[in-house]
Amino acid sequence: MSSESGASTSGDEASEPNPNPDHTPKPPEDQLAALALSEVDSHGNGVAHGSAAENNHQEIESDEEEVQANSVAPGLAEVEEASEGSPRGGVGGGVVWATTNSELEIDGPASPSSSGYAGERGSSASSGGSGTDEISEVRKDEIVDRFPDSQTPWVPSKRHVDEDDASISWRKRKKHFFILSHSGKPIYSRYGDEHKLAGFSATLQAIISFVENGGDHVKLVRAGKHQVIFLVKGPIYLVCISCTEEPYESLRVQLELIYGQMLLILTKSVNRCFEKNPKFDMTPLLGGTDTVFSSLIHSFSWNPATFLHAYTCLPLAYATRQAAGAILQDVADSGVLFAILMCKHKVICLVGAQKASLHPDDMLLLSNFVMASESFRTSESFSPICLPRYNPMAFLYAYVRYLDVDTYLMLLTTSSDAFYHLKDCRIRIESVLLKSNVLSEIQRSMLDGGMRVEELPLDPLPRAGSFSPHLVQHTVQTDSPDRFREPYIGVGGPAGLWHFIYRSIFLDQYVSSEFSPPISSPRQQKRLYRAYQKLYASMHDKGIGPHKTQFRRDENYVLLCWATQDFELYAAFDPLADKALAIKTCNRVCQWVKDVENEIFLLGASPFSW
Amino acid sequence: MGLSSATTTATAPEGVQLCIFDLRRGQNEGQELDKILFFFPADLPFSAQFSVIGLSEGLITFTRIFSPEAACEAIEAERHSHVFHEAEPDIWMVMVVEKNKEFEPIWRSDALRKVLKEVHSLFVMFHGSIRALLDKDPGGGLTRSHLYHFVMDYLGDFLVGKKLLLPSFRDALNERGTVQMLTVGREAAIEVQSLVRVLESCAGNMPCHSLILFQDLLVSTTLSPDDTVNLFAYAVLRLTPHALSSGVSSWSYLRKGATSSGSSLARPDAVPEQLHGSLDNSPTGDNSSHVVRPLQPDKWSKGKDGFLVSDIWGAETSTGASATPTVLLHQTQERMYLCTHQHKSLTLIFLLPVSSVLNGDQGVSAVKQQVLENVSLKLLKVEEKLSKGWGGENAYHVSGYRYLLADGDRNVSRASPPGKVTTLTKGSLLALNKVREEVDLDKSRAKLDNAGHEKELEISIRAKNNAWVIARVTRGKELYMVLEKANETLLYASDAVEKFSNRYCNGVFSLN
Repeated sequence: MSSESGASTSGDEASEPNPNPDHTPKPPEDQLAALALSEVDSHGNGVAHGSAAENNHQEIESDEEEVQANSVAPGLAEVEEASEGSPRGGVGGGVVWATTNSELEIDGPASPSSSGYAGERGSSASSGGSGTDEISEVRKDEIVDRFPDSQTPWVPSKRHVDEDDASISWRKRKKHFFILSHSGKPIYSRYGDEHKLAGFSATLQAIISFVENGGDHVKLVRAGKHQVIFLVKGPIYLVCISCTEEPYESLRVQLELIYGQMLLILTKSVNRCFEKNPKFDMTPLLGGTDTVFSSLIHSFSWNPATFLHAYTCLPLAYATRQAAGAILQDVADSGVLFAILMCKHKVICLVGAQKASLHPDDMLLLSNFVMASESFRTSESFSPICLPRYNPMAFLYAYVRYLDVDTYLMLLTTSSDAFYHLKDCRIRIESVLLKSNVLSEIQRSMLDGGMRVEELPLDPLPRAGSFSPHLVQHTVQTDSPDRFREPYIGVGGPAGLWHFIYRSIFLDQYVSSEFSPPISSPRQQKRLYRAYQKLYASMHDKGIGPHKTQFRRDENYVLLCWATQDFELYAAFDPLADKALAIKTCNRVCQWVKDVENEIFLLGASPFSW
Repeated sequence: MGLSSATTTATAPEGVQLCIFDLRRGQNEGQELDKILFFFPADLPFSAQFSVIGLSEGLITFTRIFSPEAACEAIEAERHSHVFHEAEPDIWMVMVVEKNKEFEPIWRSDALRKVLKEVHSLFVMFHGSIRALLDKDPGGGLTRSHLYHFVMDYLGDFLVGKKLLLPSFRDALNERGTVQMLTVGREAAIEVQSLVRVLESCAGNMPCHSLILFQDLLVSTTLSPDDTVNLFAYAVLRLTPHALSSGVSSWSYLRKGATSSGSSLARPDAVPEQLHGSLDNSPTGDNSSHVVRPLQPDKWSKGKDGFLVSDIWGAETSTGASATPTVLLHQTQERMYLCTHQHKSLTLIFLLPVSSVLNGDQGVSAVKQQVLENVSLKLLKVEEKLSKGWGGENAYHVSGYRYLLADGDRNVSRASPPGKVTTLTKGSLLALNKVREEVDLDKSRAKLDNAGHEKELEISIRAKNNAWVIARVTRGKELYMVLEKANETLLYASDAVEKFSNRYCNGVFSLN
């Protein structure tokens, strides 16, 4: 109780009911009772530490994930290298690592994409042949986009490892995620050092098993602005502690995704290890994958795919996407299960073998895994992965290769020795994509961005038109003066429309408008994202939903959601927007999306869902 | 400590558990029993009681790591909801309710918490704070028997048949802890004012407070909002004409049991027997007979002089007449004599400071005499006037609407009559319950933020069953509404709210 600040760790250990893995587990009641003691202890420590932690404190409060600009950790990339020596291969059985991989990785530059990133795009813009004022506009957007879109430059390998549950700074973090085993062993913690959190982890385990012993399952604990969400997946326990005001349902989905990400790396057969030995230590299996988890967690605050359960496509002229699809289909016929071409988190094209269908959540987890692991950027890789929605028990093998800074090709197969075959496939694909200018179209589309609320047509287009003239392949300057983004600059689109997301139920895809003023800062974008997430949760309430329409007005926005059998539209307006006009505008957005669906969606991807 | 029996199922027959415990007691191993001040059902094995309290205590401690300013408020498990309320520092009340088989969101934790708050406020009003009682009674025996009888009597009002019907989604258009007012015309208001003045003059130099009810509705109060809520609740539960003739239906949400199965409460002591189980299990032991039970049912009756009498507080030794009850005012912490006079539908409550009344009950009798002499005539007149203007049980029904209007600053609410609310489908009520839960969360967060500005919110949902479920929060006022059989357009729904707001809420919720 009266332990000095220096003795904080040992103080915790002393009161920790089950610090020793070989220790016979005490009844959970005892552990819960012991909580009182450890609490008092750590409070004492906290106070003693107070002055030191004070400085941190402010900064932590200000934002949940507070990403420092300097947090690019060099040399954090060796994900595969780290896991190669681990028992991970053993779990999957017969993992083959192409020898070229690790060699290249080790020598690879720390982060090729983080340096001169914006510059690269800028230069390719000028080569794209569009007018100069457009470039400057693009640059402006670039700044806006950078935060939500580009994860890699900022993702650190592990944050605040010096912290543990006795640190005030740790306690003040807005959103914790924990993975632990059913025996209470820590597996992953978003903040702090897992090993130092053993006592805390045992407490979480005690709470879960205490309720389970009473024949029930704990889902949620509320305290003030905090929520503690529990998810039990066999021998794996997942816990989120958050004061972000996100609804329970959303946080639970996030835990499900984290579990999915873990399966993607390990498969569900890891459960067998726990059957053999309940005190099995899983941490080495996940060694080096911290960035994958932290990048996924970061996407919970900017990527709508995490709550919509849909993926989004890079806008491309129909013919361009067709061309990419044709060559992918070609290789798919040669024994590839899935061939996916993506640019950052956006799908360019996706082709699957007959009867194989890819769940949007699997795509999210796979692309996150690839983008967060630096090694994929620097070399061609062949890596065992599991698609949890496709088959949680089995490994597939992913051949991954970046074709340019943001564009990467993933070829998935069931065969562990297909590396050289897939390499050949990639060479073929790459050359076709280059020849048919698909890659440059992709670059151009990245620069042009997607739909903008300012460009919402006033009247329905007479033809199935293009929302952006640049998408029409081989056309020279179709920019007509009436389409210029003049009237609404700075205030969003007509009727105070600030942003929208349209989700096609049938296609499992969504399209989201670009952020434009006044939703310009990352903070504002995150707030809007959270508002959408809440709206989605409310619309899809498990017990009583789904609702048909919803209108919400608070001090920040007017939000409208319209759900039908075919689509869902989420739209954000100025809080002072007129209801009648907003409704009209929503109808126009839907019409607009339908008019340009050829370009913004991947059509004909339905062979997957036979 | 034999706590290993957490494995025994912790489910009460009624699916409801309620406990009160003191974290300052029973700190040492083997003394855990000392923590428990109240447990319902009392015949639950101690091991199961410990399991509930152990989990609660563990989570209170755990959540304070992250949220020191507001510890555990609720646990949602798959089959149960646990609702927490820290009634006094370190004195916790926890209610555990079972979910239905479909795990539908039938409970709203804030509604359940308000039940805990209400029973605690009423307890304090009569007995003083639990902590103060414990300080006088270190063994805790007396406190336990007080709590036991009080809470059991209180729960009796929720008893329908053999089940406790706690506020669920079906009560989504109620707001516990508020007062329902009678709307009176200008003329009647002036009459009421002069009645209050005359009443005060009867007390001479003593500072006197009064509360006047017509039926189960408040007409006038000179008490602080908190004290008004408490006394109003007690009056509706035990003093108004409806409460005296238990079995007659009431439209107040406060008397659930009475509405649905009046007869079960008509029998004296029916409540204790049904709820208490075998009395041997009650922690009260022998001293139960000495405990004053202000909520004991059917103990109040109207005397010939129009004053309500009860033997709950025993008899005065000198005269043999019933002793006058006293209540503790929340605001001033002053103890007051509670006198109730009734004429037809009109209930007149006045409070006299104990410290100012000489000779105790005799002094009170003198004031009562004064009241009879000076007030009777006015009382007749006011009662007549209010009765004439009274539109009956459905007076506040607005056709086409099912609504709840609550003013959090004044603790006042008005709602569609329960008879009309029952016409709503389960789907609409569940959806409304969910929206209310969300608004509750937003409100409590705003409170914790201590943001200077009030929450402004408008939600309109077209539910699966095509009903519009609407919530509006503005400047501390809340409006909840369900429109069934309404047009599908959002504009129609908005228009309906606008009309309602202009007509019944002085345009508070109107946009222009």
